[in-house]
Amino acid sequence: MSLLIYGLINSIILALYTVGFSLTYGISGLANFAHGALYILSGYTAWSFLNILGLPFWASAPLAVIATALVGFLFYWVLLLRLRGIALAELIVTFAAGVAILELLTWKGFYGIRYSLPLFLRGGVEIGNVAVDYQRLFVVATGILLVILLWLFVHHTKIGLAFRAMAQNERTALSIGIESDWIGSLSLALGSALAAIAAMVVLPLGVMESTIGYEVLIYALAVAIVGGLESTLGMIAGSFIIGYGQILAARYIGAKWMVIVPLAAIVLVLIVRPSGLFGKFKELEERV
Amino acid sequence: MLEAKNLMVFFENALALNDLSIEVREGEIVAVLGSNSAGKTTLMNTLSGLIVDMKRKEDRKGGVRITVMGSLHFKGEEMLFMKPSERVKRGIVLSQERHPVFRDSDVMENLKIAGFLRSRAETKARIELVFKLFPVLKRLKGRRAGLLSGGEQQMLAIGIALVANPHLLLMDEPLLGLSPMLQADLARAIKEIRNEGITVLVTEQFARPILPIIDRGYVVENGMLVFQGTRQELAENPEVKAAYLGL
Repeated sequence: MSLLIYGLINSIILALYTVGFSLTYGISGLANFAHGALYILSGYTAWSFLNILGLPFWASAPLAVIATALVGFLFYWVLLLRLRGIALAELIVTFAAGVAILELLTWKGFYGIRYSLPLFLRGGVEIGNVAVDYQRLFVVATGILLVILLWLFVHHTKIGLAFRAMAQNERTALSIGIESDWIGSLSLALGSALAAIAAMVVLPLGVMESTIGYEVLIYALAVAIVGGLESTLGMIAGSFIIGYGQILAARYIGAKWMVIVPLAAIVLVLIVRPSGLFGKFKELEERV
Repeated sequence: MLEAKNLMVFFENALALNDLSIEVREGEIVAVLGSNSAGKTTLMNTLSGLIVDMKRKEDRKGGVRITVMGSLHFKGEEMLFMKPSERVKRGIVLSQERHPVFRDSDVMENLKIAGFLRSRAETKARIELVFKLFPVLKRLKGRRAGLLSGGEQQMLAIGIALVANPHLLLMDEPLLGLSPMLQADLARAIKEIRNEGITVLVTEQFARPILPIIDRGYVVENGMLVFQGTRQELAENPEVKAAYLGL
């Protein structure tokens, strides 16, 4: 029972880590390797609003989300605009920017017990005979709600439909007046905002430090690689495979295996099926 | 309505359009005939502005050097270097060759996406028009576009362009790869589109299927204009007959 519940929680946390990364990639083909850095940056931003400006957390958290979205948006126009379409250059630039953010945070002394965000909900409940705190249930609810809201957004709003259009066929999208740079920057902004939302609900579970940024990037990559980058269902399935894999490994082999599972998954999947377990062989499909 | 003068387009040093001038008057159906690599698609991309977008993207990553020269007036406004979205707003919409649709979306969603720059009510009315012109799309509105047949995808591609509400509809080889019967159907549909008040410029490799519906035509070879005339003149010109009518 506890395996089931904690596996679910762990899987949803992984899905939250990944959803922004895979959304940006799905829409504009942009692999944002600064994703993890933006995640932890939003935590630091919220902490600053909270402790330096003295705002309450219910105000700091949304402000941090908006600020992170803005950072993602500016990323596009300042750093990426001139490199768009050169995948390797995009990867190097986003990775470098991510490392710069993380090292800057470390240099500012962003580690240690005093850096933590408050819980949204205190207390807990017993499900069966397993004790679960409300914050973790809140994480699960946020994850599910986010997926539903994203689906509605993408299928029923103009911008969402334009996202879908750009993801499928850039030139046709262009010829009906949708602009790739606007959609690209908005998709990066939304991906960053999703990283920040994940941070706001997950970070209160522990102490913050800049190295979490690297972890989140690795987890997001693992999920994306296992699930395949272009399908949402693949992303969810990837989260569950790694999420439960981690919990099972921790229970039956040893706690340190939590870290090894995602890395092993990356290596295994890249050897066996490089387009992801649920990814399509896109190029092949297009040639047919 | 549309007046293109002395268009020159280079990809690096290769000349794709060579001093090409064409004109389209309101309410006409005008054809541009030419074989493969004659410059038809480059012309359409130049008129729709896609080439401006391509040029910008190539320039910023130091790729292929694209040079565009000449003048292009639509309803009196110069727009040779205007980006595609601005031209769509002003009423020039391109339906590209090989019917590129949004394959993972169903037919209805394809059409909804196309209303990006239009109001909800306007989009709804335009979709009704598309269903009136192509009743088969209404029947298939819940089907994923990637699963449609070639002919149906072509209708959908034209439908997408129509929802964007063009005054001038540019169609790049709409009849390519279709059966003669479907070609005749589509040619009829193009005529109906004109009867809805939309001016049409259409490119084609073979004159026969569209000759009955056009008012005037241009023949392009190697990016150059080699002949222009009314439908009658095209049909009677011996060289056009030989090259584009297969007689």
